[in-house]
Amino acid sequence: MAPEDKVERAIREKLSFTAAAKLRNRMLARVLDALKRSQGRGQSVLTLIIAKELRHSLFSYKFSIVTVLSTVLILASTYVMYRDYCLARDNYEVLRSESDEAIAVIPPTPLSIFARGLDENLCRSFGVGGTNIEVSEKQQSVNEIFKLFTAPDLLYIIKVILSLCAMLFAFDMISGEKETGTLRQSLSGSLARPILIIGKWVGGFASFILPFFIAVLLGTILVTLSPKVDMSAQDWAKMGLFLLSSTIYLAVFFSLGLLVSCLTHQSSSSLVISLFVWTTLVFVIPNLGNVLARQLVELPTVQQLELRRTYNRRKAYFERNRADGLERRRIGERARAEADQVSEEYRNRFNRLAMISQNITRISPAAAFTFLATDTMGTGMAEERRLKRAVLQYNHTIRNWPGRRDRYPVFSYQRSSCREALGPGGLGNLLILVLLGILSCTGAYVAFMRYDVR
Amino acid sequence: MLKTIISKEFLKNIPRLLKAGFSKESLKNAPRLLKATVAKELLKICHTLRLLKVISAREFLNNLLNLRFIMGLLLCVVITVACMAILAHDYRQELADYDDRVNMQDDFLSNYATHGALFWTNRHPKPPERFRPLIMGTVRDNALASFDANPLPILFPYLDFLFIVTIVMSLLALLFSYDAVTGERQRGTLRQVISNSISRTTILCGKFIGGTASLLIPFILALLVGVLYINLDPTIQWDGSAWAELGLLTAASITFVTLFYLLGLMVSTLSRYSAVSILNCLFLWVLLILVIPNICPYVSAQIYRIPSIKETERRNREIERRSLELARKLQTEVIKEFRSKYGKLFAEWESMKLAGVGDAGPEHRKAAQQRAADPEFRAMIDAFREESSRATRPAFRARGKEEKILWGDLERKAAQQTKLARYLACISPLADFVYVARDLTGTGLRALKHFERVDGEYRGRVWKYADKKLEEGREKNPAFNRESFIDLSNRPRFAFKEEALRDKLGAVLPYWGILVAFNVVFFVAAFAGFMRYDVR
Repeated sequence: MAPEDKVERAIREKLSFTAAAKLRNRMLARVLDALKRSQGRGQSVLTLIIAKELRHSLFSYKFSIVTVLSTVLILASTYVMYRDYCLARDNYEVLRSESDEAIAVIPPTPLSIFARGLDENLCRSFGVGGTNIEVSEKQQSVNEIFKLFTAPDLLYIIKVILSLCAMLFAFDMISGEKETGTLRQSLSGSLARPILIIGKWVGGFASFILPFFIAVLLGTILVTLSPKVDMSAQDWAKMGLFLLSSTIYLAVFFSLGLLVSCLTHQSSSSLVISLFVWTTLVFVIPNLGNVLARQLVELPTVQQLELRRTYNRRKAYFERNRADGLERRRIGERARAEADQVSEEYRNRFNRLAMISQNITRISPAAAFTFLATDTMGTGMAEERRLKRAVLQYNHTIRNWPGRRDRYPVFSYQRSSCREALGPGGLGNLLILVLLGILSCTGAYVAFMRYDVR
Repeated sequence: MLKTIISKEFLKNIPRLLKAGFSKESLKNAPRLLKATVAKELLKICHTLRLLKVISAREFLNNLLNLRFIMGLLLCVVITVACMAILAHDYRQELADYDDRVNMQDDFLSNYATHGALFWTNRHPKPPERFRPLIMGTVRDNALASFDANPLPILFPYLDFLFIVTIVMSLLALLFSYDAVTGERQRGTLRQVISNSISRTTILCGKFIGGTASLLIPFILALLVGVLYINLDPTIQWDGSAWAELGLLTAASITFVTLFYLLGLMVSTLSRYSAVSILNCLFLWVLLILVIPNICPYVSAQIYRIPSIKETERRNREIERRSLELARKLQTEVIKEFRSKYGKLFAEWESMKLAGVGDAGPEHRKAAQQRAADPEFRAMIDAFREESSRATRPAFRARGKEEKILWGDLERKAAQQTKLARYLACISPLADFVYVARDLTGTGLRALKHFERVDGEYRGRVWKYADKKLEEGREKNPAFNRESFIDLSNRPRFAFKEEALRDKLGAVLPYWGILVAFNVVFFVAAFAGFMRYDVR
């Protein structure tokens, strides 16, 4: 009988307003109490599910293998990249000590240990003052094998290997339980589906992300203990942002794995689909999108640009030798203006290409994550663009320097701060990651609501 | 059943055969007996082959109806064709760009060439590799050392056929084979099969053949479609050697893919459950494909230290400065000597020269030409040239020697480090395959070196031609110098020829051998594992 009916009957029976009010209050309190109790039960069930999921993963073979793999890889990569950083640091010392020429050179950032990105490009020395900006050779150009493979930094490990591990963690959470029959049993009780799926997500993801955090912390602490690595507060903030974005990135892949698991009924097929999705998102879209973007913007190769510059310079030199005073000056100025125009045009086109290829590849979380991580760590495309602009500015200053050669101003450059890195582009990448995470989570939730557990 | 009977009879026959061999009547009976045994053996082989065919056909059909196959086919065909179509378009652009560059160079060398500018303008651009629609070539250093070089490929390497084989196909191969044994055991079908008279070897071989066939057919189809698409384009023309290289490349890819199939099979025979088997497979895959090749160059750089390139450059500059100082000192002595010897005549020459021949206007040059008609003046110039070059020679020679030692040391050590990295990376089949595929198709480091060699020879020829022109000019006109125009329109033309296939093959075979050895090792391990496998 509903409480309202009871109340009405009480009114009718006792015809006393106060008694009815009392009764109503008591009934209300009881209802509230029941509600609270059920909520509490829901919470306790959720914690139970999470604990079960945690325990289940902690004792599984999968957990041990992924933990061992990620720990070893992260530590090894941190060490290797740390040594590489030391080498870059030494090179920087050598470059800085040469002050007889006007050069622009910046020190490597310690964050390049974790996300190397374009740091090697950024830390080359740029000799300014001439018609051309002279770029020094990279240290790695000596060993040719570097050209064939990518750098194994933390960013690479998270982007490629840990995303695979995240999908491996999630791919049989639902379909595997269905196959073993335990899913049917759990849902035959009074357990609500939302609680089960939320519990699974939280428990599974926690058991996956914890070892990762421990390994990263260990690596970071070991590296920062070294006197050569000097991390400022700004750097720590960047590192925190990097870890946050990698957590979101891994959550995207975990949710995608769960979504795939909710859409299939056999764990073997969910594995196949998961790997398919992983390959497409991590490799195919970013790498193919990059080539595709090149077709959309007509851009001569950089070799052609360099040749054009060389020939223009030589042509001007040739003509100057055959002209007299006033004419010679005009030729020099014309050649310089021409060279500037060619470079300017090339750079504009190149910036368009970079933007288009970023926009094409960004649909993949791996690309969005790469852009976001390298930009926050100060080793990305945005930083490169910024540095180039600064170098060009410096070049301009040096060219028009009225004073003596040995009084050249020193090139100074500050890598972009955390807030700058999270400018429009960076924030967009972060939003894309969050959006993809929410989408796949919701997808998994909805798919599980409709899942046939038999 | 049949097989057991045959082998029993054969066993019974053996003592009789032996006895017959020693007795005298054997001469009469031997041929008949031998014929019978041979026939029985043949029958046995035929039977095994038939079984093998049945098993592999079953495996093939089983895979064909699987979700894996459909996904694999889809992924493989879509990526391969999309990638080749895009890269073919890219290749066409690259070709046009190359033509532009060649024309630019031609224009410059025909109209503005001077002996002094030759050093900067004589480098011939590298023609795009003909296999570029399949495999993106490695880029020359000087292209990367530009201020405006595109940094995007560092973040996202281009996707090409190499990627498809090394990542997609190897992953598919593992997916096809990780449960070949464990899955059948879990379903219970393995027990039923084994309870028949089929030997375990036949089953394993059948699985291998059927599995790889179902894996390779979509792959080869996709490759064929892609290559046909490329060759539809009239601007791209492959000759016989290119097709031979394509065939070899396909064979190498097949070796690589079967390697991973066998790896999956091996892991499968060593584990009890599919869930465990796939994890182990993926673990190995991550190590072999994603970790070892990338970490090896860095490890080798730690193990074998080389002098910093920046430090070397700095020292080189020091050497240069010192030698220039020395040369100047030596030359001043010569000048002093000439001043005392020729007096006014030399002062005149000095005023012309110090104005800088390069800087000299047409009126200066004319004056020089007129002055040179004077035999005395001319003799003095020649003597001075000879004397000063003789005097400064030791300084430059010493510098050359020092520089050679400095860079030679770096080069030798760098070569050692590269070698170490190369050998370390050999543990990973990916690295082996990359070496084979790149060097075979002329898109790797070897091709770069080959091009450098060809280009170097060509430059040498152009230098020689220009030297001759310079000499001719000097004979006609003593004021003719390194900044005067020389007509190079009839210079020797650049012709690029791919390295001979035999040389390439010779360089590639060791790495291919490693791939084959991996195949053999994995097969033997799978075999051993399967022989001891508990099918219950």
